[in-house]
Amino acid sequence: MKISIQINASPYQHQAADTAWHFIQAALEAGHEVYRVFFYHDGIFNACRDSRPPGDERDIVKRWSALQSEKGVDLVVCVSSAQRRGLLEKSVAKKVGGYIHAVADGFRIAGLGLLMESVIESDRHLTFGA
Amino acid sequence: MNLIGTLPLVLDVKTLFFIINKGLQGNVCGQEFLDIILMAAAFDQKVVVLFEGDGVNALLKNQQPECLNLKNMMPVLDTLPVYDINDVIVEKESMEVYGLTENELAIKAAVVSRSDIKKQLRSADHLFGF
Repeated sequence: MKISIQINASPYQHQAADTAWHFIQAALEAGHEVYRVFFYHDGIFNACRDSRPPGDERDIVKRWSALQSEKGVDLVVCVSSAQRRGLLEKSVAKKVGGYIHAVADGFRIAGLGLLMESVIESDRHLTFGA
Repeated sequence: MNLIGTLPLVLDVKTLFFIINKGLQGNVCGQEFLDIILMAAAFDQKVVVLFEGDGVNALLKNQQPECLNLKNMMPVLDTLPVYDINDVIVEKESMEVYGLTENELAIKAAVVSRSDIKKQLRSADHLFGF
């Protein structure tokens, strides 16, 4: 089955990102395709490169980056949600004099069109943190 | 939205239900949720917008969120027909909870009972909430 995921809540304060990550692991293990993970609302904070949790805690951001590099899952952060909350894509940050390394490895910044495309293309669309 | 160029030319049409069950002010999620609704319509999907619970208050006439420096969502709701979104429904029971009548609503919406909404929801390919 082709599955797309939407994450609406920030990491650590909500369990949404954890639940979604575990769900994705289980789905991939069962042979399903995860078409895309789309980060919306405060979910964009899952892509904060400089998140530095204490060493004995799970590193949610790194975990996402690994999902992309190891399993090739497409991680997309909503551009307008991200800009509103101060997470700028490199070229935008350069233009406005913002922080250019804000977005962690493996994430790409794009518009809502990519959310809608994955909704249409997938058999199931699951939202975490609604 | 330069990425739209990479999408297939003919997309499936799905029935997407968007459930607004809280006010549109107070946090930015309501505003961002409306963006998804408009994007779905821009992708020529069949869009149904349902107001229920606290969400029915979003439809009240004469709101002045500007005095709290909040964005007025009414111009966006007014444009729904422009996007060919004509399936706007309000749950009858929720309106009764708040003592609202149809002529207090700022936009054209069908007042539908909970049991009929349940039947309609079965036709949805995807449900969205925020």
